[in-house]
Amino acid sequence: MDKPSTRQAILVYTLLAIILIVFMMPIYLIVSSSVKPSPIMFQKPPAFIFPVTWEHYVDLFTMRPFAKFIMNSLIVALGSTAFSVFMGSLGAYAISRIRHKRINDVAFWILSMRMFPPIAVVVPYYIIFKTVGLLDTPLALIIVYSTANIPLTVWLMKGFFDEVPTALEEAASVDGYGLVETFWRITLPLAAPGLAVSAVFCFIFSWNEFLFALMLTGSEAQTATVAVMSFWSSDAVQWGRIMAGSFIILIPGVIFVLTCQRWLVRGLTMGSVK
Amino acid sequence: MGYIQRRNRRIFLIFLFPVIVALFATTIYPMLYAGWLSFRNYDLAKPFIPRVFVGWANYAEVLSSGPFLHALITTFKLMAITLSVQLVLGVGIALLVTQKLRGMGLVRTLLLIPMMISPVIVGLVWLFLYFPELGYLNYFLSLIGLGPVSWITSTDWALLAIAIADIWQWTPFVMMGTAAALQSLSPEPYEAARIDGNSRWDVFSRVTLPQLKPVLVSLMFLRAIDAFKIYDIIFVLTKGGPADSTEVISLYIYRQSFTFWRMGVGAAASFVSLIIISVLITLFFKSLQRGQASKG
Repeated sequence: MDKPSTRQAILVYTLLAIILIVFMMPIYLIVSSSVKPSPIMFQKPPAFIFPVTWEHYVDLFTMRPFAKFIMNSLIVALGSTAFSVFMGSLGAYAISRIRHKRINDVAFWILSMRMFPPIAVVVPYYIIFKTVGLLDTPLALIIVYSTANIPLTVWLMKGFFDEVPTALEEAASVDGYGLVETFWRITLPLAAPGLAVSAVFCFIFSWNEFLFALMLTGSEAQTATVAVMSFWSSDAVQWGRIMAGSFIILIPGVIFVLTCQRWLVRGLTMGSVK
Repeated sequence: MGYIQRRNRRIFLIFLFPVIVALFATTIYPMLYAGWLSFRNYDLAKPFIPRVFVGWANYAEVLSSGPFLHALITTFKLMAITLSVQLVLGVGIALLVTQKLRGMGLVRTLLLIPMMISPVIVGLVWLFLYFPELGYLNYFLSLIGLGPVSWITSTDWALLAIAIADIWQWTPFVMMGTAAALQSLSPEPYEAARIDGNSRWDVFSRVTLPQLKPVLVSLMFLRAIDAFKIYDIIFVLTKGGPADSTEVISLYIYRQSFTFWRMGVGAAASFVSLIIISVLITLFFKSLQRGQASKG
């Protein structure tokens, strides 16, 4: 493909401008509505310049314990991320190094565990957690999210471990390193970007999740996504609070996109597109 | 290579074992539990009624009843709409953002944002746009002489309203995958095609598209698997209504289990959906392995 002519360039830019306006409009609405005074929330035509108010954010933290819900989200997301990245990278290393004709089947089996519909297992989880007294605790969500995060980590890390040359590991073992030492000192540092990518994906997935959080938590372990939704179900819809909460929730994802988008393809397609 | 592998096989298995055990305990076990439930008359609202074995009764009810089949059809209808639009739009935008022009990196980055947003938030912001009487979408449409449309309150439009929200969130996914693939294509076939004097469309349909096909197939399978599980956006926008017009499989299971408290029926429906999605997953893996094999 060569460089487009000026006329083509104008066409491309015009089309992209339209696409960007359409795709960015909902995000603009979240940001602007979160600081818009309630009386002009739905004013038409929409006011692009208006007196900015922080009352929705203040309400969020004073009228409701939103800080606690964010804390719950953080505990759950960080807990599940740590657990999943630890377990997942060990498993991924084994899958990457074992030479056996069925090992690919094991890898696919692990990946398939993440693709099943959550709704199909939510009732069993509910009953099981109720029986063992874990309902409405962060631990329940950490366990549930790890079932999706471990397969993702295994699959991503396998790709990264595959790229570490085995010659390096053999050299280390000639130097008298055992396998665990080799893994810890040689392989893992070389696959460090993979650890970061896996961790971020696990974090965002857990942070954004809604269905399990809704079903398995009550007032104690409620996460931010469920809390934001609850501003809707009360008698009057508090759009300002909903948008302020939404904005806070979308921050980690946006930071991720802006900082490491080159890993996004690999993570979201689980390595099928590199 | 053999040396390391042989000596350390046991340690590798110790590395792998916890993952397998964890997944069995947290995924296979609940699924088996759902299987057990699906043969029981389990009513969570009436804990005193014995959970008797009812054989295939729950399955018979699910498979012979209109609502489940309706939910299944609705799921596939939604999948057909969203996947086809995402494919066409995603590939189209990918062709634009891979042009050798300034600022394309920034455009691409901005377009990726919707994917990283929690589906509940996506549902809520579209609810804000669709909201009866107040929402901005009808206002924007009226500016170009269209509407008003009762987006989420009419049976004709509700499914489309959900499709639009999903298309907004996931078109960037197709765009991103396609753009990555486009940039890794080798330039030789293009030069040959251009020398032969083909039109732009011919070059695209005969040279680009065949090379993109494996990637597009993967992307579509991943979208299909997700589309089959869609829940959050519908829960926020319509809760399956109006008049069941947006009740997909997930919503059907949810309502059987948590509105009518008929856990057995919900579990039977879950199992049927597990079987359907297993077929999708298997087809996806087959296509992945074919892709890997053709790469050498």
